[in-house]
Amino acid sequence: MDASAAMPDFATEGETAPRIMIENLHFFYGATEALRNITLALPDRQATGMIGPSGCGKSTLLRVLNRMYDLYPGQRATGRVMMDGENIISPDADVNTLRRRIGMVFQKPTPFPMSIYENIAFGARLHERLSRAEMEERVEWSLSRAALWDEVKDRLRAPATGLSGGQQQRLCIARSIAIRPEVILLDEPTSALDPISTLKIEELIDELKTDFTIVIVTHNMQQAARCADQVAFFYLGELVEVGPAAQIFTAPRQRRTQEYITGRFG
Amino acid sequence: MSAGGARMLRRQVVNGLALGLATLATLTGLIALVWILATILINGAGALGPHLFTRATPPPGSEGGLLNALLGSLMMTGLAVLLGTPIGILAGTHLAESGGRRWIAEAVRFVNDILLSAPSIVTGLFVYEIIVQPSGHFSGIAGAVAMAMVLLPVVVRTTDETLRLVPVSLREAALALGAPLWRMVLFVLYPAARAGMMTGLLLGIARISGETAPLLFTALNNQYLSFDLTRPMANMPVVIFQFALSPYPAWQQLAWAGALLMTLFVLLLSLGARFMLRPRRG
Amino acid sequence: MSGMAIARAAPRARRLPWGDRLFRLLLASAAILVLALLGGTALAIFWGALPAFLHFGSRFLTGLAWDPVRQEFGALVPIYGTLVTSAIAMVTAVPISFGIALFLTEVAPAWLRAPIGAAIELLAGIPSIIYGMWGLFVFAPFMADHVEPALTALLGPLPILGVLFNGPPLGIGMLTAGLILSIMVVPFISAVMRDVFLLVPLALREAAVGLGATRWELVWRVVLPQTRSAVMGGIFLGLGRALGETMAVTFVLGNAHEFSASLLMPSTSIAAAIANEFTEADSNLYRSSLIALGFLLFVITFVVLALAKWLLARLSAGEARR
Repeated sequence: MDASAAMPDFATEGETAPRIMIENLHFFYGATEALRNITLALPDRQATGMIGPSGCGKSTLLRVLNRMYDLYPGQRATGRVMMDGENIISPDADVNTLRRRIGMVFQKPTPFPMSIYENIAFGARLHERLSRAEMEERVEWSLSRAALWDEVKDRLRAPATGLSGGQQQRLCIARSIAIRPEVILLDEPTSALDPISTLKIEELIDELKTDFTIVIVTHNMQQAARCADQVAFFYLGELVEVGPAAQIFTAPRQRRTQEYITGRFG
Repeated sequence: MSAGGARMLRRQVVNGLALGLATLATLTGLIALVWILATILINGAGALGPHLFTRATPPPGSEGGLLNALLGSLMMTGLAVLLGTPIGILAGTHLAESGGRRWIAEAVRFVNDILLSAPSIVTGLFVYEIIVQPSGHFSGIAGAVAMAMVLLPVVVRTTDETLRLVPVSLREAALALGAPLWRMVLFVLYPAARAGMMTGLLLGIARISGETAPLLFTALNNQYLSFDLTRPMANMPVVIFQFALSPYPAWQQLAWAGALLMTLFVLLLSLGARFMLRPRRG
Repeated sequence: MSGMAIARAAPRARRLPWGDRLFRLLLASAAILVLALLGGTALAIFWGALPAFLHFGSRFLTGLAWDPVRQEFGALVPIYGTLVTSAIAMVTAVPISFGIALFLTEVAPAWLRAPIGAAIELLAGIPSIIYGMWGLFVFAPFMADHVEPALTALLGPLPILGVLFNGPPLGIGMLTAGLILSIMVVPFISAVMRDVFLLVPLALREAAVGLGATRWELVWRVVLPQTRSAVMGGIFLGLGRALGETMAVTFVLGNAHEFSASLLMPSTSIAAAIANEFTEADSNLYRSSLIALGFLLFVITFVVLALAKWLLARLSAGEARR
């Protein structure tokens, strides 16, 4: 079970092979159709930015990808979301294993009411049996990857709620990567943060995509342009257009995409 | 103009009268509080002394203390907390986590609110029927079960209410890490709701510390120091009840001393609970 | 450290969510236990009361006699005592509670509201046996020396109503018990009233005051009609408490199983009769009759408290719609 020495198990796959393939996905809140016939590939170890006006379905899609909607009766998805040959939205899929492979960071920082160390260890402990030394190593590794280690290494036992908002959000990112997922979903991760913290997190995302497949939902088009390799534009529950970031922001093919990025609505 | 003025005057008089009476009503309540507390303090303070904690309750006409009653109450309260708290927390968690959609949760919430205000003497009768009668004798265990039944709805209610205050985002964050429900509840929700749940427990303990009616025919009383929970057991409320109504001055003195100790304990617990709830984190 | 090779933990063998299933089962059984306790209480007490019900039939409800020697038990006097003491309690507690709620929401300056509200709530924290001792040793003599002679002199000569206030000033009796009950339920009723008064939207208050309404007119014409059902709910909550209150009443009611019209005379109540006599009940029929009293109390308080809950729930449903 000493996985830390093993090489990534998908190293042999082609670089552009999609990590997740969404096919003909529909999503319903009760009778309301919130997502209509979405087909989208999320390339491995690239960042996909999802943009669009409020209520367009981009956050909903994120919540489909790690089955967050399971918590709420009346919400259901049809279609296929394929990952390693398995349809992750099928009722047979093991949700807890899925959520280990697909981590999520929320809009507002969500530190658990425990110490900084325990916040990181909580997730890791769920899925792996680590010795004390291994756990300490894992905590340091995760905090370092989240560019937080130097700021907190002297107070790992202090309550996480004492950190600043930006630090809390980086702690949540560290907590997500501590379970070594394959995909990290970020739901407007900087919308509650100041500009300096935002910059740190954007740099961090850029750094993380060498190892992880990133999906980031954002209201901020500059952020999408800076962080994302591929950008998908959603409008009223439909995927209007998807393409390389440079193309979407300089030469959108669809009129609605152009109107949105030039600020004519939303 | 003068008719309008007279009407205005009448309205002002009625207003002043009503607000004056409201102030008077509040004063009545405050006077009752001070009167009762002063009575307990004045009568109880004279009867205080170290002998209360070193000697057991005396036979009629002689001197003694409250040691057996204090220890009995302590043991039964402890057992009641051990019985009532886990069940109450689990049931309260069920209410908070089923989202109130299912009819069972609604029914339990309704019944729990009834139990919260139901006469405790009926609880005593129930425990008499299911424990004392079959076992053939009064016992500390029966007393503790009756107290646990009074404690339970308080814990259920506060657990339900405080858990529902924990933000949804915290639940989702834990589940998004792949945590199973039970780990999320145990390691994230409970720590987040700790202050509120502790408050509920303290209020519950305050409530059962003063309850007399459910103990009258469950624990009964015991004149001697006893640690045997399967036998009748001395306890503060019943001792105070019996001694207060007795004709012996020494017993009445002990009843006042006990009343003072009990009131101080209960009020300090209530104030402590209030204080714990005060610093709410935003 | 950040250069550490990222490796995926091989997914553990797929765990069945048995842990969660067990946990949910645990939660649900605890919740069911709460339901079962109420059902169990009803059943067990009914079972214990059955011999008395079978033996006396409807005579149990209408009988005046309570005679352990002749083994004749009728519940009318305790029922009457319970209802009369609770009625006295409500007649005094409702206006006082309304006054306190009015004071706390409209009269008191902001800095005074929290401490006075807390002081009134402390009344609810005092154990009922303490009320009993204060009632017996302080309040009852006070009633006997100062209040009851004056009442008899003032109201005794009146036709019809006078009957209620005639008799020796014993101090111990239904009036004293009812007044002590009233102090005990005031914190519950006033807390509900204050809380629902504060729920009335600010816009509505401002509109009324803007029309020139006085504070009293605001509360009487706008706030009270708006919160009527919850206020009734609070009153029923207090009533439920008053009906079942045991120890305080036991101290000051006198445990007399004789019917008397005068409020100054001793009587008994359901709860006080059980508390006084249960451990002394030496025959099965006697004990069963006391349990039957308990069953009556259980049914009455259940109905009253259910009504209270329903009335209070109506307000929160209305608030949610708004």
